[in-house]
Amino acid sequence: MSKLSSVKRSIITAACIGLCVVLPMAFHSIPNAGRVFLPMHIPVLLSGLICGWSFGLLCGLAGPLLSTLLTGMPPLAFLPSMLVELAVYGVVCGLLINLVRTKNLYTDLYISLVVALLAGRVVAGIAQALLFSAGSYSIAAWTGSYFVTGWPGILLQLALIPAVVSALMKAKLIPARYPAARQSA
Amino acid sequence: MKTLPTGQYIPGDSFLHQLEARAKISCLFLLIAAVLGASSFWGYALVLATISTLLLLSGLPIRGAVAPVRRISWFLLIILLMNALFFEGEAVLASWGIFHLSRGGIEQGFRVVGNLVLILILGNLLTMTTLPTQVTTALESLIKPLKLIGVPTEEVAIIISVAIQFIPTLLEETELIKMTQIARGARFESKKLSERAASFLPLVVPIFISSFRRAEELSLAMEARGYRKARNRTKPKKAPLAPADYTALIVCALICLIQLLWRG
Repeated sequence: MSKLSSVKRSIITAACIGLCVVLPMAFHSIPNAGRVFLPMHIPVLLSGLICGWSFGLLCGLAGPLLSTLLTGMPPLAFLPSMLVELAVYGVVCGLLINLVRTKNLYTDLYISLVVALLAGRVVAGIAQALLFSAGSYSIAAWTGSYFVTGWPGILLQLALIPAVVSALMKAKLIPARYPAARQSA
Repeated sequence: MKTLPTGQYIPGDSFLHQLEARAKISCLFLLIAAVLGASSFWGYALVLATISTLLLLSGLPIRGAVAPVRRISWFLLIILLMNALFFEGEAVLASWGIFHLSRGGIEQGFRVVGNLVLILILGNLLTMTTLPTQVTTALESLIKPLKLIGVPTEEVAIIISVAIQFIPTLLEETELIKMTQIARGARFESKKLSERAASFLPLVVPIFISSFRRAEELSLAMEARGYRKARNRTKPKKAPLAPADYTALIVCALICLIQLLWRG
């Protein structure tokens, strides 16, 4: 996933930012689906995994911002913590996918994803406790909002993102991570 | 071609065409804030009157300006119905099984769809009266202060302007894929959370594949035309804002302020 040209990375990131606006609209036809299925997280994680940490960071910041401006979702009150959370997802995903090389695509993806999902939630929780909801934030509120409400979304991300990356590789829309292994298989 | 392409620039010499892109983008943000801030009948009447005036001032065919709304009308209808039937309001007007039609739900549905329609028209007005290169240069100019902390503003401006132009196309494709999956038996409205989640699985993968295919085509076209890095590109010299630009900014700021005062 490192052979993409700079132009292609930019345009893929642009598509992911566009999807940060469009995908939640598809999900928001179900009440509270945004908080349960976390659709905006998927393009950000993909952008980090495919294009690298800097593009993941841009997607994590620009995606929710553009979505709030164009559709009012997420509401302004949730925007700062969401910006922190998604920015961390994009950065950590992008860094780890370059650092972790186990010769197995899915292992690399899952390690990067799980660590990014945890890091994003921890940093967003710290930001909530220290900045956005200082004095009125608890461990229970953090667990509730980041793990209990959104568990279907976490499962969806863990099931979908490796599938999407694999499908994109099969469609030759992104370069294979381990081309030799794919050829021998 | 039966319809005008969504968001494509249409040459002209109207008042909107002549405004500087930086002023137009700033006005767009102010008017979006006004739309999102509207909470009463008079609030919506004000933004509706503003957008109608802008449509007249743009000299664009009304059909072209509202094209993105027409193209996703089914999608908007679904959003309206879902909000109206699943909103957990108190004043329930009628109930059928899992569906509860409430006054709050109908209001919420109209508010969500109304905001979306108005913002889509505003965005379309910007892209139909401004060249993509002007939008990119203006965005770059507006985020230029970030350069002080090492942000590559040229690349960021290109990415954001391409993202904005991608949105109507992605919306159309999402609607198409959703309809296809409904025809194949997807149950987006199921009461069971697991069934709902499962119904979205076949929706998400095709959306990503089709978006990445579009990104691939666009990046290949850009590279074939010699595009390399945004920072190496030359750009036209920036013209200072004209009195008309300042007038437009003041009027939009006033509209935004009135909305906030009415809301407060």
